[in-house]
Amino acid sequence: MKAILTDITKCIGCFECVAACKAAHGLPNDVPREWHRNDGLSAQNWTSIVSKPGSHYIRKQCRHCLEPACVSACPVAALVRTDTGAVIYEPSKCIGCRYCMIACPFGIPRYDWEKAVPYIQKCDMCYDRIIQGKQPACIEACPTQATIFGDRDEMLAEAHRRIKEEPDKYLDRVFGEKELGGLSVLYIGDIDLEFLSYPARSNTPVLPKTTTTAMNAVPPAFVGMGAVMGGLYWFCKRREKVQAETKKDEGAQ
Amino acid sequence: MNRVKTFKSILWAITGLAVAFGTVRMFWGLGAVSNLSDTTPWGIWKGLNVVPGIALAGGGFVVTAIIYIMRRTEFQRYTRITVLLAFLGYITAATALVAELGLPWMVWHPIIYWQHHSALFEISWCVILYLTVLFLEFIPVPLEHTGWLSSIRRFLTKYKLVLVFLGVMISTLHQSSLGTLFLITPEKLHGLWYSSLLPILFFISAVAVGPLMLILAVLVISALYRQPLETDKLAKLGGASAIVLAIFGAIRLIDLLASGKMGSAFDGSWQAIVFLIEFSVGVIIPVVIMSIGRLRRSPAGLWTATSLAVIGLGLHRANCAGIMLVRTGPIYFPTIYEITISLGILSAAIIVFLYCVERFKMWEMPWEDAQEKPAALPQFDRASEVWLGTPRIAGRTVYSLVFVIALAVGVVAISTDRIESAGVRDATVIPARGGDTLFVDGNLDGYGVIFAHEEHVKREGGNQSCVRCHHMNLPLDKNTECAACHRNMYSGADVFRHDWHASPNGGNLACGQCHDQDLERTAATATTCDECHKDMVPVDTRIAIEQYIAPSYADAMHGVCIECHRQKALELVEKEDLGRCAACHTIDAPQYLPENVYHMFRDTSFNHVVMPPITDANSRKEEAY
Repeated sequence: MKAILTDITKCIGCFECVAACKAAHGLPNDVPREWHRNDGLSAQNWTSIVSKPGSHYIRKQCRHCLEPACVSACPVAALVRTDTGAVIYEPSKCIGCRYCMIACPFGIPRYDWEKAVPYIQKCDMCYDRIIQGKQPACIEACPTQATIFGDRDEMLAEAHRRIKEEPDKYLDRVFGEKELGGLSVLYIGDIDLEFLSYPARSNTPVLPKTTTTAMNAVPPAFVGMGAVMGGLYWFCKRREKVQAETKKDEGAQ
Repeated sequence: MNRVKTFKSILWAITGLAVAFGTVRMFWGLGAVSNLSDTTPWGIWKGLNVVPGIALAGGGFVVTAIIYIMRRTEFQRYTRITVLLAFLGYITAATALVAELGLPWMVWHPIIYWQHHSALFEISWCVILYLTVLFLEFIPVPLEHTGWLSSIRRFLTKYKLVLVFLGVMISTLHQSSLGTLFLITPEKLHGLWYSSLLPILFFISAVAVGPLMLILAVLVISALYRQPLETDKLAKLGGASAIVLAIFGAIRLIDLLASGKMGSAFDGSWQAIVFLIEFSVGVIIPVVIMSIGRLRRSPAGLWTATSLAVIGLGLHRANCAGIMLVRTGPIYFPTIYEITISLGILSAAIIVFLYCVERFKMWEMPWEDAQEKPAALPQFDRASEVWLGTPRIAGRTVYSLVFVIALAVGVVAISTDRIESAGVRDATVIPARGGDTLFVDGNLDGYGVIFAHEEHVKREGGNQSCVRCHHMNLPLDKNTECAACHRNMYSGADVFRHDWHASPNGGNLACGQCHDQDLERTAATATTCDECHKDMVPVDTRIAIEQYIAPSYADAMHGVCIECHRQKALELVEKEDLGRCAACHTIDAPQYLPENVYHMFRDTSFNHVVMPPITDANSRKEEAY
C-alpha cells in the first residue's frame, strides 16, 4: 500500500508538480471559470499549490483515503480503491450523479461543467505509472523532494523520524495518519493544516461507516415491512369478518 | 378563455420554454444553463424536483395501504388519483434526475454495475422497481377507457393487492434511503438537519405528507373543475396524517434535544431562522389546524394545512439536499434557465395529470355540469344543424400555439454568449506597469510575471527589435498597449473597427473595396486585414496574424513567450529550465531584479510577488482558503 508524504517545510512553491501532472495526464490549460472553487483545483488541475502567509506552500491533491467516502457513495462503483492505495476513477461506468462530490470531505472531485459529455476529474496517484513500478509524475518533478512516495508504513516512519529529529521545526502531528480512518497522502509541517479539510470535529466518524447501519437495515426493513403489512392485512380482514358475523347474529336475533 | 384553458396555457408555455432550455443543456452541457459549480454540485433540480418530489409522491403507497391493507374502503374512490399522483411524481423526479445527470444516457448503469454500499444505488433500484409497480397499478385506467387488452387489465386488477404490498415495501426502503444519502456528510450538513435518524425522519415525514399532498391535489381539481368536495372524508384522512406529522415533529425535537443541538435553533443565525420557519410552517401550523375539528372540515382549513405542510416538507428536503450544506464558495442561486427547466418538468406532469383527470374515469364523482366537462365531445344537433358545446380542437390549437411560441422565445432567450463562453470570468486587462522591469498581471489578481523588458530589448538587438514581439500597432503609433486589443484575459476580442475604415476621416473606403459585390457582405467574405495592412505585419516578427479576432491576453502573452523560451531552452544547454512554467511564474521575486522594483512588488508579510494592495484581488485570494 503506497502513500505520498508531503513535507511542507521543504516546498518552495515552484509549481513543477502542477506542470508535471498536467503533462502526465494530458490535461488542457485551464481558464478561470465561474464554477471553480477558488483553491487552484479544477477539472484541468488535479493538484495545486495553496500559499499561506510566511512562505508556506501546501500542495493540494486527492487524499486517497483508506476508507474513501466517494467510493462508498458511488452508485455504480466507478470510483474504486485499488490495492496500491490509489483511489481511481473509471469514466466508462460513471453516470454523472456527482454524489462523490457531495460525499468527499475534502471537496476534491471536480466536474467538466462546460462539456456536453462531462466526467469527474481527480488525482489518480498516477495509477498507470505506479503499477509499472514508477513514481507519480508530481513526485518525480519535485526539485526539493518536498513530496515523496513509497510504502505507507515507510512514509509514516519517515514522517515520525523527521518530527523526532527536529521537534522544534515540526508540529508533532502527521496529518493524514488517523483522520477519517487514515489517508494515503500524509502531510507534516510547521503550520496547522486543518484548513485543507472541512472544520474537523473531534468526533468525526469514518465516513463510509455512517451509512453502513442504515444500508444493512435495508433487507430486514424490506422483509419486516412486508410482514407488518401482512399482519395488518390479516388483522383488518379478520375484524371485518367478525363485524360482519356480529351484524348477522344481531340480525338473526 | 375559461380558467382551465388559461391555467393549461400557462403550463404549456412553461413547458415550451423548458424544452428549449433543456435542449441547450443536452447539447452544450450543464455549465451553459446552470449555476452549478464545484462547490455546489447539486442544485435546484435535486433540491426541488427529485428529493421533495419523491416524498410528495409518497401518498401512492400510504393511501393504497390504507385502502387495501387496512381495509378502509371509504377512501376507495381516491385510489386512482393517488396512484396517478405518485406515478407522475416519480416520473417528474426521474426526469429531473436525468436532466441533472452529467451522462443521462448512462442512467441504466446501476442495473449492471452493483455497489450495495451506496444509498444512491439502492434508491436507483427502488425507483426503477416502484415506477414499474406504479405503472402496473395505473395502466388499467387508460386500458379501461380504450377497451384494449382487457385480459391484462383484469389480471392486474385481480392481483392489485400484490402490487400494493410491493409498493409499500419498496417505498419504505427508498423513502428512508433518501435520508441515508446525507448521512455521509456529517461535516458538511448543518447540525440542525444532520442526524443519524435521518432515514427514519425521511420515511415518517413521507408517510405524513403523502396523503396531505393527495388532499391538496383533490382540492386543486375541485377548484379548477368546480367539483363538489367530500370534506368529511378528506378531514379524516388529513387528521390521521397530522398525527403522523406530529410524531415526525416530536422525533425531530427529541433528537435535537438528546444530541444537545437544540440551542443552535435559537442562536439567531440564518440557518436557525430557516429551521424555525421550516418547523412551524411544515409541522406546527398544519398539526394545529388539523387538530381542530371545525377547521379540519372547512375547505379553507384544508387548503392552508395541506399547502403549508407540503411547502414545509419541501423546505426540509431542500435544506438537507443542498441549502444547509457547508459552503466553500460563492452562494449558489439557480439561473432563470434552471428554474424554468425545474418548473417545466412539473408543468408537463400537471398537464398529463389534468389530461387523465379529464379523459379517464379517475373517480366516480360526477361533473356538476355536463357541459363544463372539459373532455365532453361537441354534439351535432340534427334539428338546428349546429354543433353544440365547445369543440375540442380549440383547446389544442391554443395549447400548441402557446407551446410553439414559448419554444421559440426560449431559443431566442438563451444567450449565445452563455453557450459559447460558458462560465469564463470576464476579466478586463490592464497594461503592464513598472518601467524597465514590467509587472505583467493583466487581470489584477495579484499573481503575475515579472518581465525584464530592458534585458529582452538588449538581447533581441536594441531599438530595431520591437517588431519581434510587438506587432500590428495602430497606424503611426509605436506604443499601443497589448491590453488595448487583447482586452479580455481569457476570451478573444474583435479588433476590427468598421466605422473607422468607412469614415471619410478615417480609411474613407467604399464598400466594394473590401466586400465583393456578388457575395454577402460579412466578415467571412471580406478582404482580410493583412491583404491591405502589409506594413503593419512586420517582416521580422514572431507573431502570425491570422484574423481580426485578437486572442485573449493570456493566450497572446503565452504565445509570444513560450515558443521562444522553449527554443532557447534547447539551444542554451545551461538554461534548460527556461521552457518551464516556473521559469517565469516564480513565487518569490527573482533576486536579479533591480532593488526598487523588488521592493515595489514585494510584500514583506507574504514574501512572494504581490501587487501593492488591491482590495478586490486580496479579498478573492482570502476566499480560497
